[in-house]
Formats: sequence, C-alpha cells, structure tokens
Amino acid sequence: MTAVDGVRSGIGGLRTGLGGGRARFALVLAASILLVVGFRVLTDSGVFPESWNVGLADPIDRARRWLITNQNLHWLYTVFLNPVTDTIDWGIRRLEALLEWFPWYSYPLFTGLGLWWTRGRVAGVLGLAGVALIGVVGLWEEAFATLALMGVSVLISMVIGIPLGIAAWRSEAVARITRPTLDTMQTMPGFVYLIPFVLLFGFGRVPAMISTVIFALAPVVRLTEVGLRTVPQSTVEASEMFGATERQTLRLVRLPQARPAILAGMNQTTMLAMSMVVIAAFIGAGGLGQVVLQAMQSINVGKASEAGIAIVIMAIILDRFSTGIATADPGQDAKPIRWLAAVTSVGAVVGGFLGFNDFPEALGWRFAPYVNSMADWARDNLYDIGGSGIGTGPFSDFVTLEFVTPLRELLSSGIPWPAMIGIGVVLGLWARGPRLAVGIGAALVAIGFLGMWELSMDTLAQVLIAVAATLAIGVPVGILSSHNDLLRAALKPVLDFFQTIPSFVLLVPVITLFHVGRIPGIIASVVYALPAAVHYTDLGLRRVPVETHEAAESFGATRPQRLRQVEMPLAAPELMVAVNQAIMLILAMVVIAGLVGGGGLGLEAVRGLRRSDAVGRGFEAGIAIVLLAAILDRLTRAVADRLRPPSAV
Amino acid sequence: MSRSIRPTGSGSNAQSTVEVGIKVMDTATDTSNEASRVRVEGVWKVFGKRPEEARQMAEAGAGREEIREAVGSVVAVRDVSFQVSPGETFVVMGLSGSGKSTLVRCVSHLIEPTEGTVEVCGTELTQADSATLRDLRRRKMAMVFQHFGLFPHRTVVDNVAYGLEVQGMDRRERQERARELLGTVGLEGWGDHHPQQLSGGMQQRVGLARALAVDPEVLFFDEPFSALDPLIRRDMQDELIELQLRLRRTLVFITHDFVEALKLADRIAIMSDGAFVQVGTPVEILTNPADDYVRAFTQDAPVVKVLQACSVMRPLGETEIDPGWVRVSLTTPLEAALPHLLGSTDPVLVCDEQEAPVGLLHADEVAGVISPDRR
Repeated sequence: MTAVDGVRSGIGGLRTGLGGGRARFALVLAASILLVVGFRVLTDSGVFPESWNVGLADPIDRARRWLITNQNLHWLYTVFLNPVTDTIDWGIRRLEALLEWFPWYSYPLFTGLGLWWTRGRVAGVLGLAGVALIGVVGLWEEAFATLALMGVSVLISMVIGIPLGIAAWRSEAVARITRPTLDTMQTMPGFVYLIPFVLLFGFGRVPAMISTVIFALAPVVRLTEVGLRTVPQSTVEASEMFGATERQTLRLVRLPQARPAILAGMNQTTMLAMSMVVIAAFIGAGGLGQVVLQAMQSINVGKASEAGIAIVIMAIILDRFSTGIATADPGQDAKPIRWLAAVTSVGAVVGGFLGFNDFPEALGWRFAPYVNSMADWARDNLYDIGGSGIGTGPFSDFVTLEFVTPLRELLSSGIPWPAMIGIGVVLGLWARGPRLAVGIGAALVAIGFLGMWELSMDTLAQVLIAVAATLAIGVPVGILSSHNDLLRAALKPVLDFFQTIPSFVLLVPVITLFHVGRIPGIIASVVYALPAAVHYTDLGLRRVPVETHEAAESFGATRPQRLRQVEMPLAAPELMVAVNQAIMLILAMVVIAGLVGGGGLGLEAVRGLRRSDAVGRGFEAGIAIVLLAAILDRLTRAVADRLRPPSAV
Repeated sequence: MSRSIRPTGSGSNAQSTVEVGIKVMDTATDTSNEASRVRVEGVWKVFGKRPEEARQMAEAGAGREEIREAVGSVVAVRDVSFQVSPGETFVVMGLSGSGKSTLVRCVSHLIEPTEGTVEVCGTELTQADSATLRDLRRRKMAMVFQHFGLFPHRTVVDNVAYGLEVQGMDRRERQERARELLGTVGLEGWGDHHPQQLSGGMQQRVGLARALAVDPEVLFFDEPFSALDPLIRRDMQDELIELQLRLRRTLVFITHDFVEALKLADRIAIMSDGAFVQVGTPVEILTNPADDYVRAFTQDAPVVKVLQACSVMRPLGETEIDPGWVRVSLTTPLEAALPHLLGSTDPVLVCDEQEAPVGLLHADEVAGVISPDRR
C-alpha cells in the first residue's frame, strides 16, 4: 500500500515537475525564437535607443550639489538630519573610545573565554589566537573602528527589529507591510543601499551605519515574527487557561519559546552587518574594509590579505559566538570559566587605568611581504605556465572570448531589445501569470529608459555564466553529498566557512591569481554562491521520503534511474531555490566586482559612490541593479513554486 | 438514588423492567441549577462565515457537509446543553471530528461560542468581561491538554508553579506548593528536569499537577491520555480515579475512547456530528443505547472489566442479609464478582469502605447488563 502510494507520489511529482511543463516550455522557446527573428527582420533595433534615456542622472546630480551647498543651512539638515548624524557619530565614537580604553590583552582573553563557554576548549584557544593575530599584523585600531560601527549597527537593528517583529506577529496589518518590504530588502545587493544615503548624508560612518542597519534588519524582524508564530498553540492555551494576561503570556510563554529563533535572527543580522560594514568602506566607513579597499586599488595583495584575514577572523568569531549563545551546553562545568573571567575582568580594569591599551609593537609581525612575493610568483609562473598557453591568464582569456563577450553581445545587441522584453514577458507568463509578465516587462522597459540597457545586459551575461558554472559544480557536489554522509560531514565546515566570509574579502585571493577584469569577479561570485547551491541540492534530495526511495527500489530501479526519475523531480523545487539563492548571491558579488574591473552596472555604481559628479549615473545604475535583482528573484521563485507538487486540499 | 431502565434491544428476552443501582457516592443525577458547577445551555459553535445562516440550516436538519457546501462554514457544535454537579465526572465521548474538543474549548471559553450560555461556578462566562474571566480561570478552573501543553523552556517545577506565578504568588511559596503536588502525582525528585526529558506518561502527570496546583473546583480534560501508550494510559486512568475519590473535584473529560469513558464517568455524553446523541450513566448507555450509533460502541465494550459493582448493584433496601453471602467492595469489577454469581443462586453483597453493606448484585440483573443479547 505504502509502496504503491510512494511510487504514485513519485510519478505524480515527475509529471507535475517536468511532463506537464515540457509542452508549455516548448511554447515559450518557440515564442522567444519567433520574437527574435521577427524583430531582426522587421526592424534594425539592437540596443535600447540612447535617445529614449529619460536622463535621471542630471537632476540627481543637481540635487546632490544642492545638498552639499545647503548641508549647514537648510532646516532639513539643521533641525533633523544633522542632529541624527551627530548622535549616531557620537555613539560610535564613544563605543570606539571605550573599546580602546581596555588593555590590549583583555580582548584575546575575553574572546577565548567566551568561545570556551559557548563552544568548548578548542574554540576558545583558536579564538584567543585569532584575536591576537589581528593585533600582530597591526590592525588593532582598524578592527576597533569596524567593531564599533558593527556594535552600534547591530544594537540599533535589535532595538528596531525585535519590537517590529513583535508588531508584525501581533498585527496582520503590520505584517502585510513588513513581509514584502523585508523580502525586497533581502533580495537587493547590499551595495545599492549605500547610494541613496551617500546622496543624503555624504561620506562617512553615519550613512554607512544607516545602510548597514537597513541591510541587516530583515532577519531579526522576520525570525522574531516566525519565532512567535511557531510557539505551540497548546502552550498558549495552557497559559490562557491559567488566567494569564496577554502580557504575561508574551513574557512568560511566547518570548522564551521564541528565543532560539530570535537568537538565530540576531546571528544572521550580525553576519549581514559584518559584510555590509566591510563594503561600506566604499563610502568612507573606515576600519578593516577601508584597508582592504585601498590595498586592492593599489594591487597590494599582501596588505589586502592581512586585512581580509582579520575580517574573516572577526566574522567567524562573531558567528560562532552568536550561534553558540543559542546552543551553549548548559551541562558543562562553567566554574573555571567564571573564575578566569573574573580574574580577567579585574586585570582588564587595572590595565585600563594603567594604560596598556595599544597592542605592543614588539609582538608585531607582517606577512604582507610574503604574500606579495607569493602573488608575484603566482603572476610570473601561474599566469601562463611555462609559456605553454595553460594558466590563469589564458584561462581568463578563453572564458572571456568564448563565453562572456559573445553572451554579452548576444544579450545587449544580438537580440533586439523589444525581443528581449518580449522574452521576459513570455517567461513571466509561463512561470506565474500576467502579473509577473507585466512586472518583468515594465522593469525591463524602465532599465532601458534609465539608459542602463547595455550595462545591465553586461551584468546579466556575467550573472548567467556564473550561475551556469555554480550549478555545474554545485549540483553534482550536492548530489554526492546527499548520498554520502561522510562527504557531507567533511563539506559542512568548508561551506560554513565560505558562508561566513564577507563577500568583499573573497575578491582578494581571486585577484591574486587572476588580476583584474570580469573573470575574477565571476570566479569570486561562483565561490560565493557555491555553498548555497550545494546546500539546497543536498537538502532537496534528502527531503525525498524514505518510502519513495524504497518504493522505487522495490521496482528494481537502478541508482541513476532513481535519481533521474524520482529524486530529482521531487527535489526540483528545492533545486530551484538553489538557483534562486545562487543568482541573488552572484548578482551581489558581480556588482561588487565592478571595483576590480568587472564592468557592467557595478562599475557604474562604484564610480557613482567615489566621484561626486557621477552620483546621478551611480544612482541610475543602482536602480537598474534593483530592477534586475527583482526580475531574477521573482522569476526563479515563480518557477520554484510551479515545480512544487500540488499540495493536498 | 435509583432509576428504572427499560431495555429496548430487539433480540431482548428481558420481560421485566430491570432495576439497577447507580453509584451511591455520586451526585450525578442531582441536576438542580444552583448545585451545578458547570451549566451549558444551547451552545452552538460555527466556524466560518455567515454563522447565523449555518445555524438555521442545522436547526432545519441539514447535515454538516450540506451546510459546508451551501454556506462554506462548519457547524462544529450544535445545540449542546448539559449540567455537571459538584464532584461529578462528566465524560464527553465522540470520534474525531465530532466536535468534542471544540465543545470543551467553548465551555472553558478558550473560544467564544457562537450561541448559547456557559456558566462555570455560578459565573456566566459568555457575559463576563476579560478580568472576570481571568480571575475565574486563576482560581476556579484548570485544564489538562491532549499534547500536554507543557512549557519546554521551564523546568518541571516551574511548569507546575505557572498558574501560581500568574496569580502573583512569590517564588518560594509557589515552588514549595509545586513540589508538594509533584509528590501527589508521583514525580518527587523530577522537579529540576525539563519536560522534554520525561516520558509521555510523566509529562501528563506534570500537566495534571500543574492543573491541580491552583486548587481548581472544575477541571477540564481534553483527551489527556490519548497520546499515551495503552499500558500507561490504563495506569493514568486508575490514578485519576483514585485521585478523584480523594479530591472530589468536578471533572469534564473529553475522550474518543469508549472504554475510558465507561471507566471514568459518572455520566457519559455520546457526541456525534456536533450534537449529543445520548447522555446517561455508563449502565444506562450499555443497557439502553439510544440508537445504532451508540449501540455500535457498546457491542465490543469489555463490560465486565469496566463496570464496577457500584454501578450495577441494586440498593440494599429492606433486604434481609444472609451472613453467608459473598462480599465485594464498591470498586470491584464485575469480572471478579461473576464467579460467585454463577456458582450459586445467592446474590453478592456490595460493601462500602467501612465494610457496611450498601447494595446487592443479582445474577439476572447482571446478565441483563452484560450480555449483548439482552442489550
């Protein structure tokens, strides 16, 4: 009975997954070809006509100039914005001063004790060594600047996020506003948040902090709401039956049970804030990100590596600590830890008054020169190994010439722009329906009107190639890992590690090997998106019910048959989620890669951030990035929904 | 008190009216208004839109499916009325979807009934403001839940103390009282564990202790034992009976298990499709099922194991007692009395806790209760 059911559900999934959609997809293909051929024959339109550019850049540039001249005169600033700016800046400065007051040795010690308490002895020792290393390479002050900015951003995110999450849980009306807003906020590459705030506040830590808060807010709000929503109804009823008031139930029953979810939200918010604070170096946030940025611009790979490693250390410690709080083993004997913590605290205060605050220069050691000479060696030897035409250089050239450039030209001028819009509409129609179709069409037309058509197609080409590469590597690895617990256990720390690293830092090693250009950006984004692709493939395949496996096996299906006919169709929605996640991560990375010669929208946005006469263009590029992100996100999510087997009514 | 019951089974060969005694110690049939702890009057619950319309359709005799298709709403409880006296155990028995869980939630006012009145301990809940309701819940009533509803983030003792904490009792006092109650339900020494570390049966003991901690007059049980293994379920039932003998609270007990209902109840209400089909003592239900639906349940019931001497005996009255008669206690299962009845023509004498004779078991009457032919 169950075997038959299992097979039936497997076959059902297969049918809804592929069979029914195949004919319709053929229709989409036919329509697309017809559109391309039709427009090629009828018109000579290639790129979106430049004369249709609505020219948003000029008014924005004018606005920026007006803002600069009126910064200290207009009431908007004197009454409202400047006090906000000053307060935030004051907060960050105070926190920084406080961090610097404590003696240098208290940081490695406290980190070590904290990780020992939440994660165990080994983590404690590694944490201690990690923090010490930041001091050893002489990035103590920069680390404090980053930490202070982080601390204030995360704190404000919590102060706003948790009550907002409670409000969204309590009121369906609030949730109806926050949910789509947060969805949209999360799909946008963090980078684009910087643009409007630079416009308003200029450079510095304040716009950096505000964009960080906005970028990092979503998880804590969402998970607070989810945590409260998933509190078992039975416990709430029980509390109600004892005559608890609403407040008592919230405080004594709901919030404590939502605590793990809220802590998970805080962890994610912290990690997002970390990656954003680093990227915010683009608008003068200072700190470790600034060191990486400057080093990369002067192609000082060694210096960039030092700062990059410092960032990675900081990110991993914050991640392990904040997830550790939620899962700390209450059974372990905390007595020695408490003892040592007390001693360290006394030592910290005493040292603070005595003034041991600077990391001792005598302990300093720089590894930048070694990395630089390694990078030189890599450039001399790996770029074109023995002049044989094999190496990173020829590889870059090959990918550029055979894939990136042709695809870019195909998208931007090979396919006439009206046909491109038509294809988008048809895809939307196929994936979900008229509303999505109209949305995609409108977004593409808007990109054209912004004068961003060619740059957007450049970026899209890079994204598509990176997605193809990510899936080509990630899906097979995911399949292997879903069948092999050992491999999965081995992969997990690696994947965790890559997900913890702030996106920006990934560029450093890639540039060492591949110089600048489009290829390092694409490679970095593939590396950045791979963990998600592997994870969701593995997850999707593992969710296939055991009975379905057994049913297929009982009919004598071979392993490849099982994979092709049963597992993949059933895992199809999850695979589509993998595609969606990969695309969003890749887009975020490709945009940042504009900095290292990636071209496309990213370069335009970076330029807008760095040169005040290019803010308008940067703003337009930012909008185009947002539109592109929205199109790709909605489209892939709609396809994922389509692939889901019909749920029981 | 006693009642005349006329068996109606089609294959019945009973010619005479069978007179059976019901539990002497209960006040089950005392249904005078002021004495009842729980009074439910014409309660309806309709989920979905246009409740009034759905209600009218139901009153006109429409079935659940019919109404759902016509109005799009579900009539979960239709026109239920009953009263429960102090110290009585009132069991509502029905299959899943019969509306019994909705009914107990209407009575405890976790959900608002669409129509009708509910009175607990003399307070009309449907009219009460939230403060009155809260106060009533803090002092007078408590509930035990199907999936225990324990707080996973609190220790066992803090779970039990929850109701007292909500009342505002200080920490030391409430913990002391909670530990005392853990002793009552046989969980001494488990107070500092978390509920998830306990077995299902132990978890429900915590649920029971938590409900008893506030010293309520009325206890609601929403299928409390249905998530437990059969053996543990039986132990819990026995313990509840024992506890009830000592504490004499008013219990409203929901179950889908007919045997459980027979075992625990002073009175049983059989519920189907949102309405009460029959209300009566276990003996009444067994000997005189109202329709085929109820009869289907009685068919397989292990009557001799479930029914106790007290529920089948005839009151002693003026009968001369022969010292040679076999004596059994009130709680002796029929099973244990049967050999004596079958082995001789003498009746069996039923005695209370003080060994005083209170009633008689006669072979023909017992046969009338237990044999399916005669039901």
